[in-house]
Amino acid sequence: MSRTTVDRIVLAGFVVLAVLLYISTASYPGIAQKTSAKYVRFLAVCLGGLGAVQLGLSLWKERRTMPLALTGHVGRFVGLIVGLIAFAVAFNTLGFFIPAAIFVPVISVMLGQRNPIVIAGTTLGLLAAVYLIFVVVLGIRLPGPQF
Amino acid sequence: MEYLSEVFTLPAILTIVLGTFAGVVVGGMPGLTATMAVGLLVPFTYTMDPTLGLMLLGGIYCGAMYGGSIPAILLNTPGTPAAVATALEGYPMARRGEGSVALKTSVIASFMGGTFSIVILLMFAPLLARQALEFGPAETFLLALLGLAGIVSIVDENTSLLKALLSGFLGMIIAVVGTDNMSGGLRYTFGLTDLIDGINFMPALIGLFSMLQMLELAGQREHAPIDTSAINGSQKRAKLPKGLGKYMALGSGTGTVIGILPGEGATIAAFISYNFAKQISKAKHMFGKGNPEGVAAAEAGNNGCVGGSLVPTLTLGIPGNSVAAALMGAFIIHGMIPGPELFTVHADRTYPFILSMFVANFTFLIIGLAFAPYLARIALIPPSVMVPIVSAFAVLGCYALNSSVFDIYLMIAFATFGLLLKKLGYSLEGLILGLILGPIAENGFSQGMIIGRGSPTIFFHSEIAKVMWVIIIALLVPPLLSIARKWRASLRAS
Repeated sequence: MSRTTVDRIVLAGFVVLAVLLYISTASYPGIAQKTSAKYVRFLAVCLGGLGAVQLGLSLWKERRTMPLALTGHVGRFVGLIVGLIAFAVAFNTLGFFIPAAIFVPVISVMLGQRNPIVIAGTTLGLLAAVYLIFVVVLGIRLPGPQF
Repeated sequence: MEYLSEVFTLPAILTIVLGTFAGVVVGGMPGLTATMAVGLLVPFTYTMDPTLGLMLLGGIYCGAMYGGSIPAILLNTPGTPAAVATALEGYPMARRGEGSVALKTSVIASFMGGTFSIVILLMFAPLLARQALEFGPAETFLLALLGLAGIVSIVDENTSLLKALLSGFLGMIIAVVGTDNMSGGLRYTFGLTDLIDGINFMPALIGLFSMLQMLELAGQREHAPIDTSAINGSQKRAKLPKGLGKYMALGSGTGTVIGILPGEGATIAAFISYNFAKQISKAKHMFGKGNPEGVAAAEAGNNGCVGGSLVPTLTLGIPGNSVAAALMGAFIIHGMIPGPELFTVHADRTYPFILSMFVANFTFLIIGLAFAPYLARIALIPPSVMVPIVSAFAVLGCYALNSSVFDIYLMIAFATFGLLLKKLGYSLEGLILGLILGPIAENGFSQGMIIGRGSPTIFFHSEIAKVMWVIIIALLVPPLLSIARKWRASLRAS
């Protein structure tokens, strides 16, 4: 998809969001109608208005642009996001250290690091630094495994 | 004097030195910025002594602003965006064997700029904070609008005025999520208990300024090789060229003033200072070919931004730039709400924090003079090492603040959505400023409407309000005129 098309979709999304936001303020209770609701309507009008103007300008200019490349290497990009989500999911049950001990070498290898000493050094260095600085020196209680 | 004695204790000195060194290292790594480092470490200072925690972050801010210049000069790889102007002159100098002169110029100019701006912060912040006592809800709302108007000044070649404003309003809308202070009802939480207190701006900050950079680094097709030839020969002792003082002074003043303006960053300060130096220089022809005057002005400019950006942050709660926004987060999590109380109730923490930045400047001066050529090698750390480490810290930092895994998901979402917005030319600084200014604006607006009995004329009543409207218009008119000129030119061309 071209950059212009994605831009227009995002701008249209802003306009729709602004309309929904404006409509939603009708359900604000009591005193909020005279205060918060007005503020939210103000924001909705600004977002919707500016979004519509920018969308209009984009349509009027009718520029053809290159496809939007969010990243140069999709595999690594998606891999990092998946790795982060997996890290977050594991956080509740396994705490910080075990997921980090898996996450760091996996991401390092995924990004092209092949030297086992560098990978091991990075992983152990990070874990040791976090333990020493945050647990020993600063006294922060980091989550541990639930078992 | 009692505040000064708090700075010169062993734990304080160690904290400042550690923070400054960490800042220089982070600043020296391309892809990592001061905002990233400060934002990443704010949650970890939560359990620290507040004064020491703030000193650590202040040291990182000062160190990172300087650190970016080292790889900019020796490797033509600016460690931070603010050091791009430095690379224009510093790298050609290093290539012709004057790397040590460029490094010395850079560190002394950074020291001058940073120190001058902190003197200004120390002198004017309490005065401005006293003025803030006169502010009622209407003025507070206008202050937030003023900050939003400052967003237009962030506009650069990659960001349009409308998109910068859209980013700001989007941030303010995201800030609406959570409990409505007026009615106590929940808004836009979609049944998620994690959203009852709203969207915490720290995961947003870490996502937009740390994780986003890691996603970009991870997604790079290939990493261009860096020319390291200029590092050799940069370790010899060198004398500073004569006549650089006025360029350092020019950069210091320009950087401080630009830093005070809400939304303006160190990159803009460095470039404007650089351009001013170019205009007044007798050796204009040398600019772009390795002129130390350019290095002096640019470095004094970006470090001058440090103290300047903290003036509106500490006194009015309007962050001068994204690093100041992250620092503001640190003040807030320690229960120190920016405003007059910082200089009265919390003076015992605020003044030592400000004074500690003098020590931080002195620390990076020593580090720079002694170790700069060796630190340039930091820039050679590959993304395969940097990305997993910073990502792990980002995850830990997001979780640590509220012990909430939801905040980690928020951070990932902000990083991904932020990257899309960045690619489309939206301003991430605008988004984060909107997120911070949102609650301030809403409280001011709502309370103002109650006092004004539903009439918006309350926002025009007081003298301060009128002055603020004038400033808001003054901030908006120049970029609007510039847009009008561009439009007229493009119409004529078509």
